[in-house]
Amino acid sequence: MLKVLIPTIMLFPTIWLTSPKWLWTTTTAHSLLIALTSLTWLKWTSETGWTSANTYLATDPLSTPLLVLTCWLLPLMILASQNHINPGPISRQRTYIMLLTSLQTFLIMAFGATEIIMFYIMFEATLIPTLIIITRWGNQTERLNAGAYFLFYTLAGSLPLLVALLLLQQSAGTLSMLVLQYSQPLQLNPWGHTIWWAGCLIAFLVKMPLYGVHLWLPKAHVEAPVAGSMVLAAVLLKLGGYGMMRMMVMLDPLSKELAYPFIILALWGIIMTGSICLRQTDLKSLIAYSSVGHMGLVAGGILIQTPWGFSGAIILMIAHGLASSALFCLANTTYERTHSRTMVLARGLQVIFPLTAVWWFTANLANLALPPLPNLMGELMIITTLFSWSPWTILLTGLGTLITASYSLYMFLMSQRGPTPNHITGLQPFHTREHLLITLHLIPIILLVTKPELMWGWCY
Amino acid sequence: MASRLSRIWPTLSRVRLSSALGSRCVSQTPKSSASGAAVASDLQQPVSPAAQDSHGHAEVSPFEKNPDFHGFHHHDSFVDEWNMRLAFFLGISVTIVVGGTFIHYLPDHGMRQWARREAERLIKLREAEGFPLMTENYYDPSTIVLPSSGEE
Repeated sequence: MLKVLIPTIMLFPTIWLTSPKWLWTTTTAHSLLIALTSLTWLKWTSETGWTSANTYLATDPLSTPLLVLTCWLLPLMILASQNHINPGPISRQRTYIMLLTSLQTFLIMAFGATEIIMFYIMFEATLIPTLIIITRWGNQTERLNAGAYFLFYTLAGSLPLLVALLLLQQSAGTLSMLVLQYSQPLQLNPWGHTIWWAGCLIAFLVKMPLYGVHLWLPKAHVEAPVAGSMVLAAVLLKLGGYGMMRMMVMLDPLSKELAYPFIILALWGIIMTGSICLRQTDLKSLIAYSSVGHMGLVAGGILIQTPWGFSGAIILMIAHGLASSALFCLANTTYERTHSRTMVLARGLQVIFPLTAVWWFTANLANLALPPLPNLMGELMIITTLFSWSPWTILLTGLGTLITASYSLYMFLMSQRGPTPNHITGLQPFHTREHLLITLHLIPIILLVTKPELMWGWCY
Repeated sequence: MASRLSRIWPTLSRVRLSSALGSRCVSQTPKSSASGAAVASDLQQPVSPAAQDSHGHAEVSPFEKNPDFHGFHHHDSFVDEWNMRLAFFLGISVTIVVGGTFIHYLPDHGMRQWARREAERLIKLREAEGFPLMTENYYDPSTIVLPSSGEE
């Protein structure tokens, strides 16, 4: 664990001591080497739960894929931000990369935490760099509102979590995940127990986000700069899913009845956000709402609490992280050229950027869950487990899949096909950096088809 | 509002001055280059190509100064080239290829294949000996001590 955490912390001196000319080269190289080292976590040779353990941090098959995704994302974020941050003053560039790195450090410690309070502190700590990135480097005035929504939605959800955790600590004597799964359930009166259950989960439901408390997401994703959108979509949403899966172990047997409204809300959210996507004019907003839909399916899979639900949730989280981040990068390439996110302004891009059209096509296919990509496998597992819980859910999930396919197709056709307007024929050609960025997103998704057991978690 | 005015005003004043002087404040691109003329004539406002847009990019495409621009560093082609090389080498050749090979050759992930083999072995063994494939009780019932009913 430390073999990745210490190099990530050492990225701070790298950022501040490198000469301005080589700053981006060095940080990209350093973070790629960290990503390489993080692949050693994927070794899970025994059936025991936790590996790479020290007193405070450990990995297990749930956190490992998310940790590797986090470590992989930092070089991608640096690559994506290089163009729009580079012209600024050097100290501002260093600050920006430092914020990304501090986010990375907190995320590694959050996913690796074995004690729930440490996870909680890191969960909250990730809010600060993200808030700074959104409000300082966002491009429109709405970024202030977006930052406020982002911060206060998550805080409002997580303060009850703190109370719930302290209650659990007092009752069980420990909050170590290794021990808590074997402890006695909390003894409270029925109302108190219900509120405690809700307190444990609401923070993560807001983070996922569950439809109903999702309003912060379109704002934050749209107003954030590209690296902010990438890390939000790829990793920070998964913090919610990860937290839920950890807490679920301790919340039985109350979850059997109490999960009902949240599952229904999540499934309804897939339909609603999918329909909203079909009516969007803003490209980033479309991708943001599609994230809400996908994470609604993940929330449903987790709340069902079956092995297939959990496995499907992890698979979908990883696959969605990569696909959604790729789409945000592609949207950013359009934004950097036209300085607009309006879809009708940048149509018919296939004619002028043919290779990029391939990336748009593949990313959209991943988004609409094309087999054999893991996006479909995760969705299918969740849909199947929901069906076995209640056959009626097939109506919602089936319709949701259909709408997902429609808006992904809509996004592709609007941006790539059709006549190319005259005002964009003079756009800059695509940079090698941008092609590399998208391929580094898409190649792992395709490679995961060959070894999906890395993502199955500890349930299957 | 003020920032927008302050950005427009220098450009406006420069435009008036240049048209008054009858010369254009152009960058060093030679007049003969067709692309340079096309860029200048295509622009709606008669802004000098050396002016920067809100992101600090020059209005002239970086591909003009450096046709092999890779997108990493605008002004220094040496840094741009080496950044590209390192990013590709470490990103693809090292992490994806070497890392991917490492992952491919990892031993039995989570002992799933072992579990399958062991199950088949045990089934074969138990079927040969006539034992049931699995006993109903996980623990031996005689070892479980229950409190008698009626006690508190």
